[in-house]
Amino acid sequence: MSPQPIIQVKNLRRHFKVYQKQPGLMGSIKSLFKRKYKTVKAVDNISFEIKRGEVVGFIGQNGAGKTTTLKVLSGLLFPTAGEVSVLGFDPWDRKPEFQKQFSLIMGQKNQLWWDLPAMETFLLNKAIYEVPNDQFEQSLNKLVDLLQVRDILNIQVRKLSLGQRMKCELIAALLHNPQVLFLDEPTIGLDVVMQKALRDFIKAYNQEFNATIILTSHYMDDVKELCERAIIIDKGKLIFDGKLHNIIDKYARNKILSLVFSQAVTKQKLEKFGQVKEHKQNGSAYTATLLVPRKKAAAVASDLLKELPVEDLNIEEPPIEAIIREVFQSGNV
Amino acid sequence: MAMSKYPKLFKYIIVLQQYWQNLFVYRMSFVVWRLRQFLSSFTALSVWSVVFANQKTAFGYAQDEMITYIFLVTVLYNIILSSSLNALSGEIYSGSMSTKLVKPINVFLSLGFQDLAHKILNFGFVILESLILYFIFKPSFIFPNQSYELIFIAWVALAALICFIINLLFGSIGFWSPDSWGPRFLFYIFLDFTAGKLYPLDILPNIIQKIVYLTPFPYMSYVQIQLLLGRLQPNQILPITLTMLAWTVGLILIFKLVWQKGLKNYTAMGQ
Repeated sequence: MSPQPIIQVKNLRRHFKVYQKQPGLMGSIKSLFKRKYKTVKAVDNISFEIKRGEVVGFIGQNGAGKTTTLKVLSGLLFPTAGEVSVLGFDPWDRKPEFQKQFSLIMGQKNQLWWDLPAMETFLLNKAIYEVPNDQFEQSLNKLVDLLQVRDILNIQVRKLSLGQRMKCELIAALLHNPQVLFLDEPTIGLDVVMQKALRDFIKAYNQEFNATIILTSHYMDDVKELCERAIIIDKGKLIFDGKLHNIIDKYARNKILSLVFSQAVTKQKLEKFGQVKEHKQNGSAYTATLLVPRKKAAAVASDLLKELPVEDLNIEEPPIEAIIREVFQSGNV
Repeated sequence: MAMSKYPKLFKYIIVLQQYWQNLFVYRMSFVVWRLRQFLSSFTALSVWSVVFANQKTAFGYAQDEMITYIFLVTVLYNIILSSSLNALSGEIYSGSMSTKLVKPINVFLSLGFQDLAHKILNFGFVILESLILYFIFKPSFIFPNQSYELIFIAWVALAALICFIINLLFGSIGFWSPDSWGPRFLFYIFLDFTAGKLYPLDILPNIIQKIVYLTPFPYMSYVQIQLLLGRLQPNQILPITLTMLAWTVGLILIFKLVWQKGLKNYTAMGQ
């Protein structure tokens, strides 16, 4: 039997009223007396369910509604309309029994006390979440070792690097072993090594605790490595919900043909086979990349082998980030 | 989930301790804040000492009475007022409040304990500063035979609570605008003139006194000192207590409404 969903969102809407200022000084003076407001539909009628243990990636451009959805799920924002249930609770009620079971980590907002060492926030969270001493010691030791931050626990947070701070943020958020994690851009601003370390850690946490995780990120690597399922949101609307690899089937129009030639081939000759993305000569190596419609890829490859001095040929799917970029740019949703 | 072994208020004691730790990081800010309060008290006492240089009474007060009044009111003012919530509206407007709102902690109790931490620390300094002022101005305390210590303490606690709620209301402005400095500034100006900090309110014309008594300000230092100095009739105690309670309940109700409306308007990110 498949597990029951622990997050249920039905026809969720969250609209904001935004003040619109006319440009210039006159606009500022006018705004003293009369202000114009515009309603922004940050989340516009989205529905989805998430089961225990799932790791789901929220993908979307800036302002698409990803963070707003996470904030509604955490009980921070009051939904304009729709129903939301997390772990059987209405998040807006902000019941302590609910709050003890989830964590919201925002890459751009600190929960650590800026002027005190991270250890002080850990102790505060221990008290707030009423974590028993032995569980606290055990969780802390484990998290500190996994994230390798033992030597910085007693240094003021403001003196730590961004990566060190993010690791400490994660520890502070996980000391009470939450069942549900909302991660909003957890790797933002981090270098690639640190991004990888955090991803590995999130994956391990999911496996060990069977935790349910929703992750938003601008880095497709985060989503590709952690999430089997993706939800794409655009302008507040849900446009895709399914396995990550299905995005390719649904949206990829082309395949990529990478070619190596034994002799020089002109760009004009290549153009009759497909869209030339790259065409260059590197010493004695002649290479080119073509985009061809998915259904014709095999036939075009065969023609290329027959008609041109092809030394090597590869047919590949385009990278997922390119597909998503194309989806958003073309408005083909 | 493991059963909690924590006493209910334990988490708030930790909040209180950490607030102190944070204040100690910015020692200079705290020292300058105290210096400002000290100089303000010193100025008020100096001005009144000058007024009495060539006369024995002014506005119905003898020099000793007036110096004693100003001395006591400055001490009390420092205990009742607090600057611990000055950053609240900014916290709400910028969305930093979110990290508190998602945790299993009562936000008001947490802010209340922050305020308490601030008051305890201030109280220690007020004692020290009062000793210095005492040796400079040598007020002669004339307390009445009949004392009302318990009522006095209750009135001080109620005044501190009223002030706390007013500060929460100013903080709530952050749900709509970052602009809470202006209204708060105006509030403190009014307070200085109507809470009896600079002079006892009974030296004001009757009509102004009547207007001032329609606000909560006279209950935020003036009436307490009048009680302490025996300048109130026993039959005034009950009406004043009831008025303070009415202000407390009324402000709590207003705050609840504003906070609920604000939370629904909260964007958790800065607007």
